[in-house]
Amino acid sequence: MSSQNSNTLRPLDDLIIRIANNQDQQAFIELFEQIGAKLKAYAIRCGALDGEAEDIVQECMLTVWRKAHQFNPKTASATTWLYTIVRNKRIDMARKTKYDVVLSDDLWPEPEGEDLETDVARDLEGKIARTLLHGLPEEQRQIVYKVYFEGKSHSEIANELDLPLGTIKSRLRLAMKKLDTLAQEQMTWLIIILLTNF
Amino acid sequence: MANYHPSDELLMQFTAGQKHDALGVLVACHLESCSECRKRTQVFEQLGGELLDASKEVKFSNGFLDSLLNKLKDAPPKEVESSGDIRLPRPLRRFIPGYFDTLPWSGISRNIKEFTLPFSDERYTAKFYKIAAGKELPIHTHKGNEFTLVLSGQFSDEAGDYKEGDFILADTDTLHQPKASKDADCICFAVMDAPLKFTGFFGRMLNPFLR
Repeated sequence: MSSQNSNTLRPLDDLIIRIANNQDQQAFIELFEQIGAKLKAYAIRCGALDGEAEDIVQECMLTVWRKAHQFNPKTASATTWLYTIVRNKRIDMARKTKYDVVLSDDLWPEPEGEDLETDVARDLEGKIARTLLHGLPEEQRQIVYKVYFEGKSHSEIANELDLPLGTIKSRLRLAMKKLDTLAQEQMTWLIIILLTNF
Repeated sequence: MANYHPSDELLMQFTAGQKHDALGVLVACHLESCSECRKRTQVFEQLGGELLDASKEVKFSNGFLDSLLNKLKDAPPKEVESSGDIRLPRPLRRFIPGYFDTLPWSGISRNIKEFTLPFSDERYTAKFYKIAAGKELPIHTHKGNEFTLVLSGQFSDEAGDYKEGDFILADTDTLHQPKASKDADCICFAVMDAPLKFTGFFGRMLNPFLR
């Protein structure tokens, strides 16, 4: 990939690959400096206290160190991969203070084999990121935030925003449609880029 | 390939890490066999990545990075060995002491057996139901939502025919009488947020036993 094509995500990819290949501590520090504070912010928005959020980030970064070899830039962008790690650690850390029995490993078992069909899709998606969220109108984005950070259901969101349930449902439906279109558009562009590059 | 799928709302909540409970296990089992829904969750994961990337940064306490670097040398924690029967969906394996034929089923009636799963909580009750081949459940409705995944065999009701991998939501508006297909017992994984409510005369007599 030419440097012209690189956006802020490419260095993260490279850093993770350097950690995987060389146990590169300098790359690990750089990765932490770029993403650590965002991981912490994510955990806090999901309801963790400051100290808990630091524990979650610590577990995330240790997982990155140990499982960097599982990162495959062809199947997910670096931020998507890091997102799945922080999501799972948050679940498992929250679990320690309750009596929940379901672990993130139960919900997302490590892949047993390569899924070629979805690999291709992920390859295409991974190369242009950061467009889905920005493509959503504010009123739809607000609902997405509430689902991701607060775990709210449609009816809870409707209560909170004092809007009819039908409005929330149709806004989310519109958001889904928009996401689908955006995801497809990205793929179309990527196919064009790939075709012209090779 | 399954014909009935979870809603986008549920898939998004699951991908957001907000369904780490019995319902999450049910969704995870469906995803294992449904590449279509897996693709949808990939879009939601990407959206999660973007939310992470767009997060405002929060500073760390002093010495956080040094203490993190010191831990890199620590031995990694032991992975939980995946055990259980490989014929079961992976999200269930850790919880089930054997395969369907060796489970300690308890009888609701001669034709309907159930097995309560160990990850029920204050919100959801999780069970396996086994309907004998060609037999049907008494007609019933639901006090809340019932999410069902067909694990083995097939069943049908007034609204459709369901086979392995299908994900069905029944709610308070659903009045149905699921019937297993003639050729095999039907085993379903069901997650309920309220008990079933049988409506027919014999069904009403069953109600007290199903609490």
